[in-house]
Amino acid sequence: MLGTEQKYITISVLNEYIREMFESNTFLRKVYLKGEISNFKQHTTGHLYFTLKDENARMSAVMFRSNAQGLGFKPEDGMNVLVTGRISCYPAQGTYQIYVDSMEMDGLGNLFIEYEKLKKKLASEGLFDQKYKKPIPKYPKKIGIITASTGAAIHDILSTIKRRYPICETILFPSLVQGASAAPEIVKQIKKANEFDLDVLICGRGGGSIEDLWAFNEEIVARAIFESKIPIISAVGHDVDYTIADFVADLRAPTPTGAAEMAVPKKEDLYRLLKEKQKQLNSHIKNHLQQRMEKVHTLQSSYILKNPMSLYEIKAQKLDSYNEQLQKEMHYIIENARNAFLRVKQNPILIKPLVSFSNVESTLEKDTLKLKNYILSVLEKKEHEKSILLNKLQLLNPLSVLDKGYSLVSKNNKIIKDIKEVALEDEIEIQLSKGTLSAIVKEKKEWKN
Amino acid sequence: MEKLNFEEALAKLEQIIKELESGNIELNKAIDKYTEAMKLVKSCSDTLNDATEQVNKILKENGELVDFSIEQTEE
Repeated sequence: MLGTEQKYITISVLNEYIREMFESNTFLRKVYLKGEISNFKQHTTGHLYFTLKDENARMSAVMFRSNAQGLGFKPEDGMNVLVTGRISCYPAQGTYQIYVDSMEMDGLGNLFIEYEKLKKKLASEGLFDQKYKKPIPKYPKKIGIITASTGAAIHDILSTIKRRYPICETILFPSLVQGASAAPEIVKQIKKANEFDLDVLICGRGGGSIEDLWAFNEEIVARAIFESKIPIISAVGHDVDYTIADFVADLRAPTPTGAAEMAVPKKEDLYRLLKEKQKQLNSHIKNHLQQRMEKVHTLQSSYILKNPMSLYEIKAQKLDSYNEQLQKEMHYIIENARNAFLRVKQNPILIKPLVSFSNVESTLEKDTLKLKNYILSVLEKKEHEKSILLNKLQLLNPLSVLDKGYSLVSKNNKIIKDIKEVALEDEIEIQLSKGTLSAIVKEKKEWKN
Repeated sequence: MEKLNFEEALAKLEQIIKELESGNIELNKAIDKYTEAMKLVKSCSDTLNDATEQVNKILKENGELVDFSIEQTEE
């Protein structure tokens, strides 16, 4: 029984035996395998678990974190890959599998498809639109650079800036530029750079294989470039390499050196520009002075300034005519005055004042008498006229008819003109030439006519 | 004259040249402008000449900015 029992071994022992069989086989220690990934899973520990398959067969694969870290791409289902690794048994499961040391994408087909897919997607979202491109400042004071801190790219950029425009400061935001961690690190540094006061950002790396440049084809990098507030110049690889980052960037440079050239002006050009400006200024100010000079010349050659005497001549002529006029006027005034004086001088009073006085006296006496007589005659005449007028007035007085025997009949102080105005027994007054009578109407005889 | 940066100084220069170009500016004003422009040209040249040592920094992991030189870029 015991003998029979000794024939049986445990699974652990067998699996361990098989594992040793695998591992002692030198051929299986390093296998080059190609296939398509399926059931891809990344464990939280960083180890990758997946299946490799072709049309007819499949095999489990594991890639430990230490090896997976250097991957230049993100493996996913359906991807064709080339792997190297050893074949061994996982005793706990009783399965054999490939322990992958390194993995790369099989051919560029996969990458190209992914690239085209992402490019189309981002283009349709408008990330490449010209309207979003920020202008690159002409004279930057501070430039940010996102690339590896060692290598050709940073060296080329810094030496180019130093040569062309050394008054500009730079800040390097070091980042991995290849491998799986490159993309998230570039994204992180773009965000970090945006916290600084920078005029422009250069983001890129030197040349390499398409896998090396792959981080710049990642969607997260494209989006980080798009969202950057600071304008970004992309500089990835060589002139022939166009990455997604190049399409999103505000400006695409063919190389890192090219990016630096686009970012800063050339000192010599600026000196030349300043010289040019200086020349322009000089010629402008010269023009101004010349213009003024010409004006002065024109004025100088004007008739008046050239013939100042002419100015005087006109005035002199006028002065002469005024002078003449003045003399005439003066002559006239003097003549008038002389005549007046002569007249006054010939007055007899002035010639014989005393004789004149007695003459005046007798004349005055004669005149007084004449005036007296005249006034008396006027008074007489006026008296006579007055009595005539009074007589005439007497004739016109209505009461004067009473003297001739007429009388006026009135009732209540109103003169009666019509018999109808009185009734029998009315009291009436009769006005005669030297008094009035009161009477009562005793009888009325109306005339018919 | 306040200190202008290179770009501002050039823009100002450009503006003065345009003003002088237009012609209808008083002579003494034109001369003032010209003097100002010449000072700007000089300040720009001085800026270019003064840059003896370029300032390069690197942002460290801890957020510190430290000096960085081209020699450090060699692998």
